[in-house]
Amino acid sequence: MKNTLKIISCYSADTAGVCSILYEMGGMVVVHDASGCNSTYSTHDEPRWSKYPSNIFISALTERDAIMGRDETLTDNTVKAAKELEPRFICLCGSPMPALIGTDFYALASEIEKKTSIPTFSVATTGTYSYIQGAGLALKEFIIKTSVYKKREENTVNILGYTPLDLYINGQKERIVKLFEDKGIKVNFSSEYSENILNASHNLVVSQSGMEAAKYMWENYDIPYMCALPIGEKLSKFVLDIPNIKEPVFLERNTAKTSFYILGESLFSQSLAKALSLEEGIDAGVVYTLEKEDRAVAPCDYTTSTEEDTENFLKEKAENIIADPIYKHISPVNAKFMSLPHFAFSGRCFEHNIPNLMCDDHALKEVIK
Amino acid sequence: MIKIAIYGKGGIGKSTLCSNISAALAKKGVKVMQIGCDPKSDSTVLLNAGEKLPSIMKKYTEKGSALELKDIVFQGENGVLCCETGGPPPGTGCAGRGIINSLERLEKLNAYGIYKPDIVIFDVLGDVVCGGFSMPMRKGYAQKVYVVTSSEKMSRYACGNISMAVENFKGRDYAELGGYILNKKTSPEDNKALEGLCKDFNTQIIGEVEYDPLIKEAEEKDTTVIKTFPESKVALSFMNIAEKIYV
Repeated sequence: MKNTLKIISCYSADTAGVCSILYEMGGMVVVHDASGCNSTYSTHDEPRWSKYPSNIFISALTERDAIMGRDETLTDNTVKAAKELEPRFICLCGSPMPALIGTDFYALASEIEKKTSIPTFSVATTGTYSYIQGAGLALKEFIIKTSVYKKREENTVNILGYTPLDLYINGQKERIVKLFEDKGIKVNFSSEYSENILNASHNLVVSQSGMEAAKYMWENYDIPYMCALPIGEKLSKFVLDIPNIKEPVFLERNTAKTSFYILGESLFSQSLAKALSLEEGIDAGVVYTLEKEDRAVAPCDYTTSTEEDTENFLKEKAENIIADPIYKHISPVNAKFMSLPHFAFSGRCFEHNIPNLMCDDHALKEVIK
Repeated sequence: MIKIAIYGKGGIGKSTLCSNISAALAKKGVKVMQIGCDPKSDSTVLLNAGEKLPSIMKKYTEKGSALELKDIVFQGENGVLCCETGGPPPGTGCAGRGIINSLERLEKLNAYGIYKPDIVIFDVLGDVVCGGFSMPMRKGYAQKVYVVTSSEKMSRYACGNISMAVENFKGRDYAELGGYILNKKTSPEDNKALEGLCKDFNTQIIGEVEYDPLIKEAEEKDTTVIKTFPESKVALSFMNIAEKIYV
């Protein structure tokens, strides 16, 4: 029972991550899964569903097709829909059932591409990993498949890893754009389809979902990246220095001991901890419940993978906690609990209470009030 | 580096053949990695003095993402790198998914980049009964599939089924059929029926292993004939097949 979540929620799964990161790119995402599951990926985990259109389909995999290995049901229907919709690209991804029967998504994507002449790639999600993994792989595969390097465009920054699962649709994206554009820096949001992504001079990674793509572009196209969110005024100034960086930059945090802990998406939590230190003089640590970048970990940070472990750690170490409201149920009663809803964790339950912390000291103060 | 997969009917002698080929190649200085794709985890026992190695699935279950190559890759006879995918106990779980997960794990841990074997031999359980068992013949894995068979009807039938699977996957850039290896269960044994199958699939018998009690004797000693009876006729036949596979 150690790995069972008995009290708290689970994070959105890898398949939802794929759908979320590709949502606004004008492609067609086909999830190989049983009929009815579309609502999980494209409504429960997707706050944009009622505002912007997107081509997200479910293959409606049946038990008979799974048993008989009838891959042609998926490929034929995808080809038919693609010819009608003419998407910019096609992405195939999986779920637990195709994972168990060993569907070869790579081969199927190649077959569909041959039949449609539309760039097609696959992300063999299993539904058993976190949204970070699905989104991260999908973004990297998207770039490899659809982007072409032509010429370096100086003073241009790609924002990598943006999804509403971590940065809700309450103006956070717009504030990041404004921050850069006010200083004359051109911004490409990787969440919008862009053939020019490889031409940018720098990458700003705003969630762990952007890390795979950032590393790929650094290793293959020498595009340096910075891992930080512009939370609060001082960190925003730090982020604005991105056009001057020559190699990957991570936030430095050296706190060895603290009783103030943040739980949430790893890069967001690290940025929040840094902002609290810069703006409020608070030394905060991060409890990692999701994938993280080791180079940005502070000595006081802690990595956990089970509910019991998280609960025990908080009981032992934490007197002040910033986390999604659901975590309150496993936090010590004596600790000060500061609510910061996370859409990938509690979905629509607290979506209207998600603050916009980008470039805003006042909102930061409100969180710790 | 070349990668090959050995398929064939259950009990036809795939693991014995793989281990002897691996031992023969390693003896000549070729760096060999043999990967058993069977929940029983017994592909490499003859290369490890009868010892069953801890499988990838067993160690992955224990260690999760902390799994390291040293937990799952071991040096056997003549330095052959031995590895077993493992899988669930009989009657439970999903053996095919075990193979998929294990082979993906080896890729993630960069096993081929780190050990740099000259040849990787996937020893695959039985027939291509589900997606997981086709994994070793997919793009990026084996370039060639060899099928071990006797001339007995049921063995030829399984051989035909495996050949059919390879044929069906041609459009997906999977492995191609490298040929058949005739493992004679009795002496003498007629090759004619198998030659007919060769014509059907436009392939050939690349080697023959005569029935020889020395194979059983070596197995009882938990070793290969290459090691125990290196001058024997049957050892020579394994060496000839090894040369055909690794040119």
